[in-house]
Amino acid sequence: MTLTRRTFPGFAALFSMPFAWVLLLLVVPYGIMISVGFWTRQFPLFYPDFQFGNYAQIFSDPQYTTVILRTLKIAALVTLGALALGFPLAYFLVFTVRSAALRNLLYMSVVVPLWVSYLLRAYTWKIILGTDGALNSLLVSTGIVSAPLDIFLYNQTAMVITLVYIFVPFMVMPLFTVLDNIPRRLIEASEDLGVGPFMTFWKVIVPLSLGGVIAGSTMTFCLAFGDFVAPVLVGGPDGTMVANLLQTQFGAALNWPLGSALATLVLVIVLVLLQISSRLDTAGRVELT
Amino acid sequence: MNEEKRGMSMKILKTALIAAMATASVLAQTATAMSAELNILTWEGYATEGFISKFEAASGCKVTAAYVGSNDDFAAKLAAGGGVYDIITPSLDTVPMMRLAGFVAPIDTAKVEGSADIYPEFSQNGDVVAEGSTWAVPLIWGSVSLIYRPDKFASKPDSIAVLFDPANKGKISMWDDKSALYWTARYLGYDNVFDLTDEQLEAVKAKLIEQKPLIRKYWASAGELTELMANQEVFVSNAWTGLTSKDVNNLKKGFEVVEFTPKEKAEGWMDSMMLVKDTPNEECAYKFMSFMQSPDGQCGIAESTGYFPVNPKAVAGCMDEQMKKDRQVDNVEFVKSLVMWQQPKRLDKYLEVWNAVKAAP
Repeated sequence: MTLTRRTFPGFAALFSMPFAWVLLLLVVPYGIMISVGFWTRQFPLFYPDFQFGNYAQIFSDPQYTTVILRTLKIAALVTLGALALGFPLAYFLVFTVRSAALRNLLYMSVVVPLWVSYLLRAYTWKIILGTDGALNSLLVSTGIVSAPLDIFLYNQTAMVITLVYIFVPFMVMPLFTVLDNIPRRLIEASEDLGVGPFMTFWKVIVPLSLGGVIAGSTMTFCLAFGDFVAPVLVGGPDGTMVANLLQTQFGAALNWPLGSALATLVLVIVLVLLQISSRLDTAGRVELT
Repeated sequence: MNEEKRGMSMKILKTALIAAMATASVLAQTATAMSAELNILTWEGYATEGFISKFEAASGCKVTAAYVGSNDDFAAKLAAGGGVYDIITPSLDTVPMMRLAGFVAPIDTAKVEGSADIYPEFSQNGDVVAEGSTWAVPLIWGSVSLIYRPDKFASKPDSIAVLFDPANKGKISMWDDKSALYWTARYLGYDNVFDLTDEQLEAVKAKLIEQKPLIRKYWASAGELTELMANQEVFVSNAWTGLTSKDVNNLKKGFEVVEFTPKEKAEGWMDSMMLVKDTPNEECAYKFMSFMQSPDGQCGIAESTGYFPVNPKAVAGCMDEQMKKDRQVDNVEFVKSLVMWQQPKRLDKYLEVWNAVKAAP
């Protein structure tokens, strides 16, 4: 339908706000970020330019690839951890808990930590995992170890634990939704045909829940990939992630052009991941007819 | 009853709304009343209630302070959004860069009461007075030394080597700052720490990367180091002399931390106040710089930090003899026993090396 003069004011009233939002807060900033990535730095200032020096630096200096690979590894571990915890939890909520009231209560208790400040929740892990922390007090008082261990905090394991805890609701929410939408008659039919519980799970429930697995994993992965708080709070000297690198380039190192080039690269990585995830989602879709 | 309840909650909601609007308008008013406020970007302990309230009462200027964790934060914060701060207090090694980057304005020393009594070693320093103008008003000085837990070491360490000793694996911390390069360079025996050659920088970088598995955590603020020490996460680190030991020992955790100067020397620094270019609060800024040279200002900041005053005349009447001795009053010669910070000749190269160390596995 073409716009006629009569519908234009209505169209403008409805869509001008979201359009302005997308333009001013997404398109323009991304444009600025991408173009600053080609600028030149002359310490301590930087000048508009068009050259690929910043990208050359990112790919030639091993420190950037090291950090990007480390970030991908941490994000992958966090996603696996969240899936390993989130799937059984969502399954339990949907199929095992019979009372709807109890199910809602349990579901809310998974989601409710999102209302508490992220910083506070991450900081809590410091108190749990520290040398003088809660976990060590427990281990020492029960006699499992004789002296507090310092292996829990300030390393990549602590970062993965903290991030799994923080992002697990983002995994549970889509999984809960897809599992809850699986028609019970399909499971009954499978059982009527003499298929055992494990094969029913594997052949019926898993394929039908793939959409939720992909949605939850994508969200968890992207959130973990961009995190910069866990490395600062519970990470050790080998915990620097790509977002910390960005922070440094825009902060202490005062190299906005390099920072912008790096941010553009991060954007590309995330877009590629989203593309893969949407392909997987389409490929794994099962028609419920 | 129900109706009444609803009425009550409506009333509470209304009150809350009015309170919120009132707060917003008060905030807006303070924002417009430019002449009566002062925003300082400074270090922890440099704007504590004790002496700042005296300044606010005397000048009528409301002080808002934000804090930095290292000298590299000043340029970053000013580049990101100038105009928010009126006074910054970088260390001497960062003063030239603030001027070269055009972040600060020259200072009219005639408007700073008491500035004539500052140690000339500081007030006439080649980076403080440059291009025929004065760019900074010295505020406080001190050293960066090592801090350790005597109960965890068989003998008292005397060298920077303690930070690189595999025996202390997992119990070492270091300041997350380019000065890690200065410490390592001294440990490696280089005496040109602010002008290292490429080969020397490579050696320093290799040594720091080799040290990484021994490090529990790089500390980013004095508060973080205090926490690491108090929670027994680390036993030895470099630290801002005076501040961390005072804070940790005040917590009375059942152990003590002690500072020491390694044989490779401790580092010396001097922080000074710089006037941010085009500040709308210039009058308050000058009042503040004058106040900080007064007995209340110099003794106030010396007490809250454990550092050394730059104005011996100001502290003459407000410090006892023991404290004067501890804080090196009238002993500016002490400077010569320290490696005084300077801006590295190739500052960006130093920052790059430090960032590469942090990114390394």
